[in-house]
Amino acid sequence: MDDLSLQHIRKSKQHTLLILLISLATFLFAIYSMGTGSSSNLGFWTTVKIILGLDEGTELQSAIIWKLRFPRVLMAIVGGAALATAGALMQGALGNPLVSPLTMGVASGAALGAALAIVVGWSFVDNDLAIVLNAFLFSLLVVFIIIQLGKMRSISAESYILVGIAITFISGAIVSTLQYFATDAQLSALAHWSFGSLSRPTLENAVYVSMSLVILMPTALKWSWDLNALSMGGDEFAISTGVDPVSTRKNILILSALMTSIVIAFTGLIGFVGLAAPHMSRLFVGTDFRKLIPCSAVLGSMLMLFADTVGRTLFAPIVIPVGIMLSVIGGPFFLYLLLKKQGAKL
Amino acid sequence: MTELLSVEDLNFSWGSNEVLKGISFSIKSNEVVAILGVNGAGKSTLIKCINRILKMNSGTVKIQSLDLTSLNLIELSKRMSYVPQTVRTSFSIDVFDVVLLGRRPHINWRVSANDQKIVSETLRFLSLEDFAFRRFDQLSGGERQRVIVAKAIAQGANLLLMDEPTSDLDLKNQISTMKNIVQLISESDDKSALIAIHDINIAARFADRIILLHDGKIVSDGLPSEVLTSENIGMVFGVTSQIISRTDEQPMRIVVGDEIEEK
Repeated sequence: MDDLSLQHIRKSKQHTLLILLISLATFLFAIYSMGTGSSSNLGFWTTVKIILGLDEGTELQSAIIWKLRFPRVLMAIVGGAALATAGALMQGALGNPLVSPLTMGVASGAALGAALAIVVGWSFVDNDLAIVLNAFLFSLLVVFIIIQLGKMRSISAESYILVGIAITFISGAIVSTLQYFATDAQLSALAHWSFGSLSRPTLENAVYVSMSLVILMPTALKWSWDLNALSMGGDEFAISTGVDPVSTRKNILILSALMTSIVIAFTGLIGFVGLAAPHMSRLFVGTDFRKLIPCSAVLGSMLMLFADTVGRTLFAPIVIPVGIMLSVIGGPFFLYLLLKKQGAKL
Repeated sequence: MTELLSVEDLNFSWGSNEVLKGISFSIKSNEVVAILGVNGAGKSTLIKCINRILKMNSGTVKIQSLDLTSLNLIELSKRMSYVPQTVRTSFSIDVFDVVLLGRRPHINWRVSANDQKIVSETLRFLSLEDFAFRRFDQLSGGERQRVIVAKAIAQGANLLLMDEPTSDLDLKNQISTMKNIVQLISESDDKSALIAIHDINIAARFADRIILLHDGKIVSDGLPSEVLTSENIGMVFGVTSQIISRTDEQPMRIVVGDEIEEK
């Protein structure tokens, strides 16, 4: 094999190793996170023993790990992975680095659904799942609009973004109107939902999201080559390499909107991880989507897990929602990485 | 030589503006065909219609006797590759990976050793090996253009469609890139190139055949010496010219004079 090919393979292996290292770090941090919290800190090895069944611990310790923290940690991992992957897919499909899972209006649709359930009491079910179901169905409504737009052959990447902004404004106006007529209790519930939190999802919810991710992730990876062509050189370049930009863009947006809907229906609005994780991943592995998608996923998990762990331990027993912590911790770190990387240019 | 591409009665319009009117021609294997014409004559539009980037209003295009509309994009891109005038990048990747995208129609997920070998060989063929692991967006306009030519060559298609592939290149690279293209076509059994070009001297030197487009129609199609006459150049480009015929020592040259006053 010639030296250029060998160099290419070596670079690819380095990126794979880096992704595996971030995955390992996320896994170890997940164990640490399961042993850490406002009620009791068990230490890393004690947590490992309890998880492996080598040490039963007290009944209370075991219950805290498995019933309280495990669902939360699992949701942080799969939710972070899904939102980060959705962000990477959307940025690639629309050729725009400013796009995040919230840009397409999916989150605004979910917020409208949640507001209707909380303020008006309008929902298909009359139990605890009312808000989750409403948020999911209204975000699916946005996915449906994306599908309809995708049927227009002339729809461009910019048009998708503009429609997303329009949906965000329309949903925002309706939510504001509902807030205007809401009671204090309803306002509080709505505000709490919009913060984005990992305290709401149950183990069952986290398993649903995990299963969805297992099904959707391979599809996302399958489109890596198409995304490379689309984001590298635009529509004409994509066509010349055998990629149909219109149908590819539509399918990728539907997939990423679905990923976003499934997570935020349970957690509320969490946006930053979908913007920051793909950008941070680009700094580590470059823009090749075959590496960028898995790297974004594991980095998204790591970010979400870290932000949630800090959020529930920093001012314990007060728990700061992960949506807020992500922006507080992730924002400056994201800026630091960007400035460090582009320092020469700025 | 077998027929590689045939275009019959191709028409295309932007709204009411007819850009291409009844275009018909064919290309055989081992031909380098240049399309010449003024800005807006329809050179790029013709290439984009052949590559299905634009949908023609009417007409038939066949590649290797297969109707263009019967092929999916993967099958099409195995048969024809395309070099656009400019490439707008949103997220840049390494030059090696850009050229590897040319292998996209041949691979699903895993890149084979053969794909890597083809990319390496193509980079060397165009003297781009020093750029292999530099990011595409950090290259100059001319370097980028050569990388996109490399991507089109690595695609291994039978027909290379090129839209002004040397417009951003300096004089030396214009000559070397055109030489590379001519060498590629002449050394293969089943390849040809259709190149939209604005430099008539480059076309005269490197093309086996020239198609002269004017006002959306083909006004002349043949050997450079047949097409590039002072009369044709005056009619199409609106300038006077002196034709210096090809000799053993030097290629055919066109010395452009003044604008022709419209009567």
